[in-house]
Amino acid sequence: MTTRRTVLKGLATSAAAGLLGPSILTKAAAAATTSEGTWHITGSHWGAVKALVKGGKVVEMKPLESDPRPTDMVNGIKGLIYNPSRIKYPMARADWLDNRDKADRTTRGDNRFVRITWDEALDLFHEELERVQTTYGPSGLFAGATGWRQTGQFHSCTNHMNRAVGMHGNYVKKAGDYSTGAGQTILPYVLGSTEVYSQGTSWPVILDNSKTVVFWASDPVKNLQVGWNCETHESLPYFDDLRDKAAAGDIRVISVDPVRSKTQKHTGAEQLYLNPQTDVPFMLALAHTLYSEGLHDQEFLDIYTLGFEPFIDYVTGKGDGGVEKTPEWAAPICGVGADRIRDFARLLASGRTQLVFGWAVQRQQHGEQPYWMGAVLAAMLGQIGLPGGGISYSHHYSGVGVPQTGASMPGAFPLNLDLGKLPEHDSDDFKGASTVIPVARWVDMLLNPGGTIQHNGHDITFPDVKMAVYCGCNPWHHHQDRNKMRRAFQQLETVVTVDYSWNATCRHSDLVLPACTQFERNDIDMYGAYSNTGVVAMRKLVDPLFASKTDFDIFTQLCARFGRDKEYSRGLTEIEWVENLYEEARSANAGSFDMPPFAEFWELGEVRFGRGEDWVRHADFRDDPEINALGTPSGFIEISSRTIGKFGYDDCGAHPKWMEKLERSHGGPGSDAYPLWLQSCHPDQRLHSQMCESDEYRATYAVQGREPVYISPEDAAARGIADGDLVRVLNSRGQLLAGARVSEDYPPGVIRIHEGAWYGPEDASIGALDTYGDPNTLTMDVGSSKLAQATSANTCLAEVEKFEGPVPSVTSFGGPREG
Amino acid sequence: MSAKKTLVLFWDTLRSPPATISLGVLAFGGFVTGIIFWGGFNTALEVTNTEKFCISCHEMSDNVYQELQETVHWENRTGVRATCPDCHVPHEWTNKIARKMQASKEVWGKVFGTINTREKFLARREELARHEWARLEANNSLECRNCHDYDSMDWDAMSDEAVFYMQPAAELNTGCIDCHKGIAHHLPEPSGDSPVIAQLEGKAARSLSSGEDYYAYKPVTLFTGADRALPAGNLSLGARVKVLETSGDTVKLSLDAWRKNKGYGRVLYDQFGMNTRVAVLEKDAAGDAALVEAGAAETDDNTGLDWSPVKVTLWADAEGFVADAGLLWDVASESYAASCSGCHAQPDPDHFSTNAWPALFSGMVGFTNMDASEQELVLTYLQNHSSDHSSTH
Repeated sequence: MTTRRTVLKGLATSAAAGLLGPSILTKAAAAATTSEGTWHITGSHWGAVKALVKGGKVVEMKPLESDPRPTDMVNGIKGLIYNPSRIKYPMARADWLDNRDKADRTTRGDNRFVRITWDEALDLFHEELERVQTTYGPSGLFAGATGWRQTGQFHSCTNHMNRAVGMHGNYVKKAGDYSTGAGQTILPYVLGSTEVYSQGTSWPVILDNSKTVVFWASDPVKNLQVGWNCETHESLPYFDDLRDKAAAGDIRVISVDPVRSKTQKHTGAEQLYLNPQTDVPFMLALAHTLYSEGLHDQEFLDIYTLGFEPFIDYVTGKGDGGVEKTPEWAAPICGVGADRIRDFARLLASGRTQLVFGWAVQRQQHGEQPYWMGAVLAAMLGQIGLPGGGISYSHHYSGVGVPQTGASMPGAFPLNLDLGKLPEHDSDDFKGASTVIPVARWVDMLLNPGGTIQHNGHDITFPDVKMAVYCGCNPWHHHQDRNKMRRAFQQLETVVTVDYSWNATCRHSDLVLPACTQFERNDIDMYGAYSNTGVVAMRKLVDPLFASKTDFDIFTQLCARFGRDKEYSRGLTEIEWVENLYEEARSANAGSFDMPPFAEFWELGEVRFGRGEDWVRHADFRDDPEINALGTPSGFIEISSRTIGKFGYDDCGAHPKWMEKLERSHGGPGSDAYPLWLQSCHPDQRLHSQMCESDEYRATYAVQGREPVYISPEDAAARGIADGDLVRVLNSRGQLLAGARVSEDYPPGVIRIHEGAWYGPEDASIGALDTYGDPNTLTMDVGSSKLAQATSANTCLAEVEKFEGPVPSVTSFGGPREG
Repeated sequence: MSAKKTLVLFWDTLRSPPATISLGVLAFGGFVTGIIFWGGFNTALEVTNTEKFCISCHEMSDNVYQELQETVHWENRTGVRATCPDCHVPHEWTNKIARKMQASKEVWGKVFGTINTREKFLARREELARHEWARLEANNSLECRNCHDYDSMDWDAMSDEAVFYMQPAAELNTGCIDCHKGIAHHLPEPSGDSPVIAQLEGKAARSLSSGEDYYAYKPVTLFTGADRALPAGNLSLGARVKVLETSGDTVKLSLDAWRKNKGYGRVLYDQFGMNTRVAVLEKDAAGDAALVEAGAAETDDNTGLDWSPVKVTLWADAEGFVADAGLLWDVASESYAASCSGCHAQPDPDHFSTNAWPALFSGMVGFTNMDASEQELVLTYLQNHSSDHSSTH
């Protein structure tokens, strides 16, 4: 049958060179050989890099010359390839290998593994899939969790695992993610799009039009170092422009954050401190001020929004038991003086104001509320859809705000089965359980098979899962509450993990298969996840190290176990796939963006499409709200949502509300026992947990070999802690060792440990001390609300004490104990 | 003397009545001439069926003939060459004559220089190609199949990739041209038409019957009257209409839909409270009670907005419809699965409600290469297969 693919293939093969004009190509060829070796261009989450290869070894990595603001993390990439934590060969947990589903699961996590051959490993993988499908059916298998795979559109390991396991049988999948779970669920009801992954107003437009730019718990200068695809870093020079405009008094830049962020310091922004987790009371008081002083835009509310009345009744105290959300009401909760709140409200309304929210405030209990309230404030200001006005939830992510070229980008290896194909085990009998689980609730799923939760207007029934498969995904970094996870993992008969380095997920698995790194395979990537700046070639630098294989090879060989390897690979080799993905993009761009034939591109290393077009988010809606209706149930901005109201949830109602948290610092619940709020935001010197194992690079920021815990001078002094001390951080859920970094950037009552620090428990016991400093040893595993059921990682209190006694060595790195 | 003047003179001579010749002489002469002409005609016909004749015009010689020489149909390891008539002239006599009669248009084009420059040729290439594609689609690629046949294919001798694409095509007896457009000459420059719509073009309803339901497979312009003078708006992809009357290539149609009573009522939706678009009207048309007949309003409990049922009667070009919505959904579901699984597993359509899909779709579609028409079709597909339309979720 005619598919788009075949049509495009036809287009590709016939698009003759004569019809295409000259290409916009970089002059330097990708490979330049000198006596010191050969320099190759390749791509990564950390940007495009040049690698010097000599004698079959990568000897140096440096940023591409054209990268406007290379990240320091490029210095850590080489350490990913040559690393003692690399998985060298297939391994099985010792007891599991002997006893399989009858094995002792309480020893899972003791890190004792034995080496097996690839044939044994893939046979075991296949046998276990077979056993689980025939014994339990599809509800017994969880293979939906995915993560920040290495870059490369062809080798994207999420797609390989899903296609191969999906060819064998059906399985339980996940919905949402750990970064934006609450935001991507609430904002469709409010602004009609997930927003968190949407393109934002172009930076040149903001710089030209905004009078005030507010970074609300957003630290783009830190987070824009990395990208979902090959990052261009074109966004970062705009922060220099912003700094200059702030210095010249043209733009007022304000950072609403308890901590002095990297962005605040880079741009010279003013800080507006508020107590952690109290954004909503602060914002309600801002709304009260705007309304009571007549600073809100009633005409905008009338034309573009619905449901302002029930909300403003709540603010003015006509609803909610008569509590009026005045600045005086909010001040003691949020720690900001009533006059300061009023001044800030007036400032927001005084001219063009761009609100820029980060993701941290929605990674907490009731994380839906501050995001909804942000949209309400923006609606009251009436600047949504104007250049340099309105609200963004994405400007810290993957180059959002860089004008987009509009070029078509290479597709990816198919995640799905080919059209009309069925799995070997095509039963879709999930025994009455849900087939899709909100991702942050999968540990609850393991602990409560058959249990139910509410989620976004539906009831979820947990399946009885017996086997899990992970590939390029590290749940033992991104999920909360390690000791609860240890209990939950004892429910699993078999855990299979495919990765390139021995992280804590491998440690808690039964079967571990070594994939190679992205630098050991040929691939292609888009340059700029949002800007579509170009396409970058990712030429293999060295052959797969040790016994590792590409994900493509691993899963092709798994499919051979049930006779479907040719269907899996479509009989194409790695380089044929890469060429096809490129040529499909080339034909899609024909007539709009010139691309050279693949062979030429492969030599050049990259192709670029020039500067993109400036753009204003929601301008089309503002221009014509009827034709360009939002994706909300009504098509308008929903300040109150009847749809959500009808769900009847006690933790997410019909309009944004302030609700107390299970744990909150600065006098909130639980602060008498554990007074410090632990924030576990994205790291400055890793990509989540990627690169933590890069030893030399980790040494540049670790403290006594441990992950830093940032603490205020006041809190440190009160506990007799000096900068550089080894400390124990603890609460009722767990304990970890970390190295104290005493910093003026942190206020009293606030500590930070960056997420992604590798979990390294002393032993396999529940409650074991984490020897390196993974903050999720301490975080709470509860859903944000019944609406999103997202992670609440930033609702977490802890205590810090100076560590005394014999110091355990770090167990996180260096792979398993063999035998 | 120019070709145009010669033609005019010849025409004038033919039009003049006979002045001095008797009827008998005229009849006999006609008979004899007929014999001579018949022989001449067949000879001439055969002459026009040679490559030499085809490329005697520089239009063919400079353009498509050059392109052919870059392809496997010109030069290959087995030494078999396909010449112009092998592919472009039917081999069976009646069809051949029919094609030759159509060719009079090409003579006209030659005489008047319709494509006598490269620029003119490129500008018309799409139109010319579409004629040829339509002809091959109509006969299921007969001229290709004179040499290539599914039954004669040795699957074992083919590459895996070729088998991957070819076997499903063989099972459905798909015509060669469906996939292999541009195999012997360059493809037209992209016209801006979505590849998805191009896929559906061959499946469009050839004639519309009164009283039947049809579905728009491409943006269809609506008009306020049968003269199609004043545009009234556009049908959305996937919109269902009932045909009331057909007259030539104009069709009078009706649409049962709903609209929100906030704004000008320009956007029409398929059901009460459901944001699945079926049409967007011009402001004037939306307010014209003669064209848009509104019923009693009902309040949507999920938003508090009032909705009114509307019966819309408008006119459109008869092109742009398919008789079976399944044709649209097949194309859309394939596009959805392929485009939305690059980064993650795509959710099942019935995982979300009709009114939730627009937000989720708009939040993520920027990561795909879908063009505007494809986006519209895929979103409509998702909304029509959402949890509101599913009994299992």
